[in-house]
Amino acid sequence: MDEGENKMANSFKRFSKTLLAAATALTIAGTAQAETLKIALAGPATGPVAQYGDMQKIGVMAAIEYLNANGGINGMDVEGVIYDDACDPKQAVAVANKIVNDGITHVVGHLCSSSTEPASDIYEEEGVLMITAASTSPSITEKGYGMIFRTIGLDSLQGSMAAQYILDTAKPKTIAVIHDKQQYGEGLATVVRDALVAADVEPVMFEGVTAGDKDFSALIAKMQKAGVDFVYYGGYHPELGLILRQSAEKGLGARFMGPEGVVNSDLAKIAGEAVEGVLATAPKAFDQNPENAERVKAIQAKGEDPTGPFVFPAYAAIQIMADTAKAIDSTDAVKMAEHIKANSFDTAIGTVKYDDKGDLTESTFLVYELHADGSKTPAQ
Amino acid sequence: MTEASLYLLQQIINGLTIGSTYALIAIGYTMVYGIIGMINFAHGEIYMIGSYVSFIVITGLLAMGNIALPVTLFAALLVAMLIAGTYGWSIERVAYRPLRGSNRLIALISAIGMSIFLQNFVALSQGSRDVALAPLISGSVLEFGSLETFAVTISWMQLLIWSVTLVTMTALTLFISRSRMGRACRACAEDLGMTNLLGIDTNRIISLTFIIGAALAAIAGLLLGLYYGVINPYIGFIAGLKAFTAAVLGGIGSIPGAMLGGLILGVAEALTAAYFPSEYKDVVAFGLLVTILLFRPTGILGKPEVEKV
Repeated sequence: MDEGENKMANSFKRFSKTLLAAATALTIAGTAQAETLKIALAGPATGPVAQYGDMQKIGVMAAIEYLNANGGINGMDVEGVIYDDACDPKQAVAVANKIVNDGITHVVGHLCSSSTEPASDIYEEEGVLMITAASTSPSITEKGYGMIFRTIGLDSLQGSMAAQYILDTAKPKTIAVIHDKQQYGEGLATVVRDALVAADVEPVMFEGVTAGDKDFSALIAKMQKAGVDFVYYGGYHPELGLILRQSAEKGLGARFMGPEGVVNSDLAKIAGEAVEGVLATAPKAFDQNPENAERVKAIQAKGEDPTGPFVFPAYAAIQIMADTAKAIDSTDAVKMAEHIKANSFDTAIGTVKYDDKGDLTESTFLVYELHADGSKTPAQ
Repeated sequence: MTEASLYLLQQIINGLTIGSTYALIAIGYTMVYGIIGMINFAHGEIYMIGSYVSFIVITGLLAMGNIALPVTLFAALLVAMLIAGTYGWSIERVAYRPLRGSNRLIALISAIGMSIFLQNFVALSQGSRDVALAPLISGSVLEFGSLETFAVTISWMQLLIWSVTLVTMTALTLFISRSRMGRACRACAEDLGMTNLLGIDTNRIISLTFIIGAALAAIAGLLLGLYYGVINPYIGFIAGLKAFTAAVLGGIGSIPGAMLGGLILGVAEALTAAYFPSEYKDVVAFGLLVTILLFRPTGILGKPEVEKV
């Protein structure tokens, strides 16, 4: 079957689904007074990363409560239905099928990129609108799907952002780029190096360390000899923590910068005072945005934590769905997806606009300065 | 001195520091191998347990306040050596003694099993996340060279590691060469069966070997714990592997060989990281091992195994 036929078959499938959905909706409308629009919330409610699933749930539920208190969507009340994929790709596929079978056509989730990827195939095929608030893997949107969106930036954007900051703001004399030889860390470090080289700023060192290594004294002495005054580290907090701690002991007076993977309260535990002033790219702290003050209060009033990185992206996902449904006066998922691609939205994470693939056109990351007490503030 | 030689000196200092701790752990491998011809793969985990025990003691005593730092450290050292020694003794009793006399491979599998058991035991009881300790000993003893080019620094912590290792190694050498028990150890290493026939309780000597090895690993556990400030249940694997390499490099079964092997490995790693991209650190260290074994299969100070008849 060639591509055109495939598309036609797909759109016919979608059309029939829509007819079926419309017919079902009519029947329901006939019997029930107040209609509800069910939105599925897919993510880990159990398992080792359940805490991240909670963040997503806090954001979605707060947005839904706000919506319902303000007239719902086109006169319909919204109901969030939780589906647990435990961040397991196999279970995510089962959950996606169940969502389709339950007749739900709007999904916020999934959370882990490895779960989102297989599930998004199903949603695309069945004409279900999906917005993930947490999956950052580029491959999810690379397939060029029409029904799949994100309210979070891609990992790789952090690298170019860090390079920009180094060139425009930090302006160091001698730069070293260090990484942990793993996909995430080396990938980001390479992006940073390439961007620096493109701007004619050649890092004096580009070297890997072994994840799990404890002794970095030789590397630090080498950086001292090279007169390095700025280090970009691509990797996670355990190694950076030790590098910082040992650099402070050896008196290497360089400034450090890392990606989101180092932003963790354990970093300060490992490195202590040496964390003060370290730069890191991390998702914007939307709960500190003055425009979100009301929302933060509403979440805190329920005794929940609004500071998690996925709370406001999840909140924004519901806002985008609600705004779209209101704008086109329909909850048809395929039409909504077309509208989302073509328009921009004012949300809890700022103005959101999409490119053809369903990725945000603007990064949701920001450069932060980390502090020894484990807190972070936007870098100057 | 020129900048290049100052830099070389600094890297050798760094290498000797890490090498000293490899040597401390390597003793445990080499002593056990020397006497019963078996590689105790659970030895790295003993080092990790020593680290955990010393962290717990230090944190506890610091929380009580008013206790001088040297007292705290000394207490941590004693408790860690005691508990690690108990683990060493128990492991031998539980996992190795019942298998003695059977195929060497069986004891080896038992050792690997013990290693996995201990790693998971600590991960379950202490949590698998990193545990950190604030720097207790900071600052440098000595700094020389010009600040503009390159300054060589020796920190108090490095000095502590060297001096503790030196004292321990001297004590061990004296014990092995002068004491009655030490003589019994040497006799066991020469010929276990013959020593037994001469009326020496070889089981006691073997237990003692495990206890000494474990206590030395605990010393390394405390020192490296203080030096890096971070431990987790999985540090034993890499440390054990490096120390085992050091033991083989120096000649497994030979105590001075383990000491020398540790230092050579540490310095080789530091110098590789110094003059090549640091990715190649492990490549060169293990390449060195292969090269030395090709030309001297028994290691630098090892004696060829004599066929016992």
